[in-house]
Amino acid sequence: MTVEWGWFPDHAGELTRLTADHLATAVPAVLFGLLIALPLAVLAHRVRPLRGFVLGASNILYTIPSLAFFVLLLPVTGLTRTTAITGLTAYTLVVLVRNTVEGLDAVPERVREASKAMGTRPLRTLLTVELPLALPVIMAGVRVATVMSISLVSVASYIGYGGLGQLFTDGFQRNFPTPVVAGVVLTLLLALAADALLVTVQRLCTPWRRGTPRSAPKLWKRA
Amino acid sequence: MNRRTALTTLLAGASAPLLAACSSGITSLKGSGAGGDSGNSSGGLVIGTANFTENQILGYLYAGVLSAAGVKATVRPNLGSREIVVPALRSGDIDLLPEYQGSLLLYLDKKATETEAGAMQNALATVVPDGLEVLPYAAAEDRDSFAVTRETAERYGLTSLDDLRRTSGKLVFGAAAEMKKRVVGLVGLKEKYGVEFKEFKALDSSGPLVKGALKKGDVDVANVFTTDVDIKENGWVLLADPRHLVPAQHIVPLIAARKADTKVRRALATLGNALTTADLTELNRKVDKDKKDPDRVAAAWLSERKLG
Amino acid sequence: MLELLKNLAAWLTGPAQWAGPDGIATRVLEHLEYSVLATLAAAVIALPVGLLIGHTGRGAFLAVNLSSFGRALPTVGLVTLVFLAGGLSVWPVYVSLVALAVPVIITNTYAGMAAVDPEVKDAAKGVGLRGRQILWQVEVPLALPLIMTGIRLATVQVVATATIAAYVSFGGLGRYVFDGLAQRDLVQVLGGAVLVAVLAVVADLALGGLTRLLFRGRPATAR
Repeated sequence: MTVEWGWFPDHAGELTRLTADHLATAVPAVLFGLLIALPLAVLAHRVRPLRGFVLGASNILYTIPSLAFFVLLLPVTGLTRTTAITGLTAYTLVVLVRNTVEGLDAVPERVREASKAMGTRPLRTLLTVELPLALPVIMAGVRVATVMSISLVSVASYIGYGGLGQLFTDGFQRNFPTPVVAGVVLTLLLALAADALLVTVQRLCTPWRRGTPRSAPKLWKRA
Repeated sequence: MNRRTALTTLLAGASAPLLAACSSGITSLKGSGAGGDSGNSSGGLVIGTANFTENQILGYLYAGVLSAAGVKATVRPNLGSREIVVPALRSGDIDLLPEYQGSLLLYLDKKATETEAGAMQNALATVVPDGLEVLPYAAAEDRDSFAVTRETAERYGLTSLDDLRRTSGKLVFGAAAEMKKRVVGLVGLKEKYGVEFKEFKALDSSGPLVKGALKKGDVDVANVFTTDVDIKENGWVLLADPRHLVPAQHIVPLIAARKADTKVRRALATLGNALTTADLTELNRKVDKDKKDPDRVAAAWLSERKLG
Repeated sequence: MLELLKNLAAWLTGPAQWAGPDGIATRVLEHLEYSVLATLAAAVIALPVGLLIGHTGRGAFLAVNLSSFGRALPTVGLVTLVFLAGGLSVWPVYVSLVALAVPVIITNTYAGMAAVDPEVKDAAKGVGLRGRQILWQVEVPLALPLIMTGIRLATVQVVATATIAAYVSFGGLGRYVFDGLAQRDLVQVLGGAVLVAVLAVVADLALGGLTRLLFRGRPATAR
């Protein structure tokens, strides 16, 4: 297997376009995932009986093969980017919901009661006290979800929205490893760069945690 | 193109909208009437292509001639099998597809019996779904074919699909998954030639899986496209088709009627008349063997022929 | 929608669907074969590495970040690359599944080892235990719950991803997803997806049960 290095500079434009395309699918998926996961997680945190159901459902979503997900969405959303984004959003839920619930669980009861004693309304407590305190754990989830989404976008190449994954199909059909190598390397770089960016954002958002030794990223564990 | 085909092309092209109007009832007369000025391509159109390289080359050829005619065209390569792209065309996610007469006809009408190019073009016009239109076909043709290695051909004395019946139950057939249910595939081979295989292996459309499997001996009979350069390189034997299972497979544009204006029709017809099977095979070789990009290969050919 | 579910029920319960070389029974066994072998191979590679890093404390950075790298690696790309390098064989399937599972197991094993209270280790040293004895008699038993979590996580991911075998012409439940996609037979796709999800959930529950059996009567040590 030989890689033709001259192919890379020759296709810089295409690689840039595919990278942008890749992000245009992966980033909205994480954002929509957060939009759905936050209220779900708050619900699961507040209403104990719903907890098992919400966590279980997001776990099961994760076990469905991603390709099947895209295909099953075809009759609903058609051969569009929406299909790709919707499928990826579903996969981000498992991490985002779990981490948000765990983050909220970890907020000490004393803090909540203190806020209540000061006459703060529940919604305000949630937004100004609980969520900020849960932020490190939520952000750890966002990091995992982002890396996962970026890696999974390539599966959407079966419906033409695979971003850098289009290079896999192309190389596969023509028995041509060079584009495949380009796709794998760029996907990895993109995911790791996004992860590093999120770490930086997280540090900026949680100034009160600076100075404490940086803890290992929260492991995504199952109950 | 010989005179006969030219004539049928003309006839078919003229009769297509008329027949479409008849079959779809009076209500559609307003929308997709005769002539070809009913559509409007000023908003540009999106060309979808199926998941094999030749179809992408064709997509870029379409895009090239359309751009030269002043129509903005974008290509969405590698969208999947016909079972995915045709519904996407119907739902409006894409506007134009490079198609193949016979396969398209049998996809739209499982019971179709036409195998000759002109007759098929007429049949296509009657079965094409509302809102879609089949434009005149190209000189170039790419048939499905059934290939065996030279060793297999000698061992079982195979020259035509008829000979396969004698091997019934012994050979393994490899083709894309959709061939399991298609007439030009497992279904037709059984009905027309009485062939039973030991096993059907779901692989790909004349791609690395099916060709790799044939080379390696994992399958004995493989479905490959006649314009595939690997056939010649490996000395594979294409089995003759005396009972006309495989219909003519001239390339036809399948288009959303609302986009098919005179500009688009004319541009695609010019391309269709210029592109021969030999051209297409050569373009395939450049992409599959020389690893050139389909869009560049298409653009170079068009500028060489002063078409784009 | 109702129609689809009715067809799905018919597909899943049809006796003809279960028998034969492309029946559900065969496909489930194939799927299990890929999944079990890949997870076992991954455990054989990852457990010693994780234990070594955890015991010596060297390479902790690698262990913590490896799971992120593993998640970022696009499976489709890896399968394609190994296929192009080695031709038509079952290797691409195993290489990519093992590559998926190894980082998860290493990271969790390391995390389990790192979570062992240093005082406990000191106490073990105090009563005269040597390095290897500390590893096997103190660290591993205490780290086992998290190690098992890693293996469970890896198993679920491998089962959900083993559909990829069908991409390079092999069997398993992915056959239904890929064939259904090509034939636009949604019932088949859905059937395949449901079977994969069920298999993943069953594998998860089975490993969970096994873990509980192993730790019966012991206080919970998970973090």
